[in-house]
Amino acid sequence: MISYLDIAVPPRSVHLWRYTPWKRIHPTKVDEVPTVDEFFFSEGIDFQSSSSDEIARSFIHTVSKKSVFLELIDQITDLNIRASGHMSAGELKIKSSGNSTLIIRLSGEPGWAGLRITGEVEGQLSVVLVNDLAKDAHLLRCDDWKVSRDSKLEFSTLSSGGFLIKSDIRVDLTQPGSSCTGAIASHGHESRHDDHHVEIIHNAGHTNSTLVIHSACGGSSHSVSTGLLTIVKGADGSDAGQVFRNLLLSPKARAEAIPELEVLADDVKAAHGAASAAISPEQIHYLCTRGLSPSQASSLIVEGFLMDAFRNVKNQKVIDVIRTRLLVHLECLVNG
Amino acid sequence: MAEENAQNAIVDYQFGFHDPETATIRFDSGLSEKVVRDISELKGEPEWMTEIRIKAFHRFEQMPMPKWGSDILEQIDFDSIIYFLRSSEKTEKNWDDVPKDIRNTFERLGIPEAEQKWLGGVTAQYESEAVYHSIREDLEAQGVIFLDMDSGLKQYPEIVKKYFCSVVPYSDNKFAALNTAVWSGGSFLYIPKGVHVEMPVQAYFRINAKNMGQFERTLIIADEGAKINYVEGCTAPTYSTDSLHSAVVELIALEGSTIRYSTIQNWSANVYNLVTKRGVAHANSTIEWVDGNIGSKLTMKYPAILLRGEGAHAEVISVAYAGKGQHQDTGAKVHHLAPNTTSNILSKSISKHGGRSSYRGLLQVTPKADQCRSKIVCDALILDPESRSDTYPTMEIGNSTADIEHEASVSKVSGDQLFYLMSRGHTETEAMGLIVNGFFEPFTRELPMEYAVELNRLLELEMEGSIG
Repeated sequence: MISYLDIAVPPRSVHLWRYTPWKRIHPTKVDEVPTVDEFFFSEGIDFQSSSSDEIARSFIHTVSKKSVFLELIDQITDLNIRASGHMSAGELKIKSSGNSTLIIRLSGEPGWAGLRITGEVEGQLSVVLVNDLAKDAHLLRCDDWKVSRDSKLEFSTLSSGGFLIKSDIRVDLTQPGSSCTGAIASHGHESRHDDHHVEIIHNAGHTNSTLVIHSACGGSSHSVSTGLLTIVKGADGSDAGQVFRNLLLSPKARAEAIPELEVLADDVKAAHGAASAAISPEQIHYLCTRGLSPSQASSLIVEGFLMDAFRNVKNQKVIDVIRTRLLVHLECLVNG
Repeated sequence: MAEENAQNAIVDYQFGFHDPETATIRFDSGLSEKVVRDISELKGEPEWMTEIRIKAFHRFEQMPMPKWGSDILEQIDFDSIIYFLRSSEKTEKNWDDVPKDIRNTFERLGIPEAEQKWLGGVTAQYESEAVYHSIREDLEAQGVIFLDMDSGLKQYPEIVKKYFCSVVPYSDNKFAALNTAVWSGGSFLYIPKGVHVEMPVQAYFRINAKNMGQFERTLIIADEGAKINYVEGCTAPTYSTDSLHSAVVELIALEGSTIRYSTIQNWSANVYNLVTKRGVAHANSTIEWVDGNIGSKLTMKYPAILLRGEGAHAEVISVAYAGKGQHQDTGAKVHHLAPNTTSNILSKSISKHGGRSSYRGLLQVTPKADQCRSKIVCDALILDPESRSDTYPTMEIGNSTADIEHEASVSKVSGDQLFYLMSRGHTETEAMGLIVNGFFEPFTRELPMEYAVELNRLLELEMEGSIG
């Protein structure tokens, strides 16, 4: 495994780094390995993690002093991760079996935070990450999931905290019958920059995946959604779909979407869609006639739009957690 | 072995025949500043054009080969390519004056017959330069200028100077730089204010020699309220060595005008087709690219439209067929730069026998482009387990009033559809052919009838042996 400093800085021509280049999300200078504080994990035991040839994962591994292992067997677990100090990082390894639920709440007031998650799923796992970082925080998040035979991963993210977010989630459907459902809701406000990249690779036949990303962009925020669905040769009977939707709330907001497909097998279904639009004035008018102020009406529509990203998520506990947190977040914005 | 493969390919590719080379001027293979200067001198060009060529050549040398798109790009050997070959001393206006061998070639391709029946004008380019050119007298009387690009530069240098490189600068990409350095031939078309050219005008490009590079340059200007339908076809013989086609097409649609540019690219499977096509649409004008890619070893072509004026409209309809050893990397780019602009992109592709088709697109909405709308649809069919289909769309939305939709799907021909047609008495091959023709129907219905019939026939030929 090569060390972080030996890995070439990726060019912006690569979609993953087009809108949030490595230079921008690195906490200092790209040729530096700064000293960072460790994350506080409310659950798990310490373990020795391994590095990666991918630059962001390698960097988090290099700077991180805390690696935690969490085994989930038919259980619901709340995991609080707290980032503190000027820079903070940590690694989390998850192994789940049976029917498990993991609710991760990432909070704190760091200048920069780096979180690397690796997971192996046997059975069914529904995992949600609620990004509750302070509004000035930068977050670099890298996930790598492997889903076993006839197993299912549901991963959900509510991204409303922090100022600059770069998230890179990769799911490997390794064996026949494995599936994953991905859902990400991002709320851009003020000048928040929220960049989500999701790669799902169908490495075996009869594997299914769905990915939905909804971004509501207000203020002068910038939302980026890039995705790559790959169906390898011979993975017949696979079904893959991804949908990216952007709701543009203000004239200065920007949204980019790159939903990519690479299909190397013929007996498959693969589709993607993307849409961008503003809130219809008729909808605002309708809600205002019911006694809501324009900002309340807009907030209600944003809530509905963002919650709709989780329409394929079956775990009610996860839905409830997201809805509660989203309501608090939107209420804080409306009422100051 | 390579020769044998080439011979086999000739059997499959109906335009794979070639004539003996009868060049009056033939440059040695390889590219240098001297070659660029010699081309310019030979054509007796003004100094400003020579200077642009030289600048473009140096830019070409500096620019790296693109790292994206296709690994096949690395196989291009620029030193083995012939950059200029003149087959006829001048561009003839009378078909009978065209040298016999060349005339035979175009007659086999059906060009003179088509001209008589349904075309407003024709340019036939053989190797580096146009060998035949004509335009209907009534169009000429209305002020329509339709010339090969070399004659256009000689006769209308002010217009060419004003618009040349204005839409595709020579520094745009490596192959645009190469084209600007060594361009030869192509069409120059100017349609005066308010003139509607109802019959299509056509250019036909033919590469005949081995290792030939064809670098035509086309410039079409539709003045205010004008309307034109330009049709382009391309073929080449099948050789065991590769040829390069690297064209640049610039369209300027002034206020209220309409330009439709239709291409059926049917290069043989030894041609690299690396083309830059771009149009600027001013207020209330329309640019339509109707783009069919059937042949070539590698095509990288992304027709682009800059919607610069309020109310402008862009339409791109493209189909691609990727067979054995082919990579069709095609797509569309639309830039919404002004308010109330609209665009539609429809892309369809078929991959068969290990072929790879890719859609690569960009839709950009700038902050000033209020109330613009766009819809993109990409459909792909994969007909066997060896083939591949990719979709790489990019949407950059910088205006909150934009209404943008994109959808794409990849699938195989369903067993139910085949079964239904076979239960009506069709063989499996016929059923597959019908389904494929139906899949491409949104494209073929936009073509002039003769082209649509020809395209359907080409597809049927390509689809033979698809089953089993």
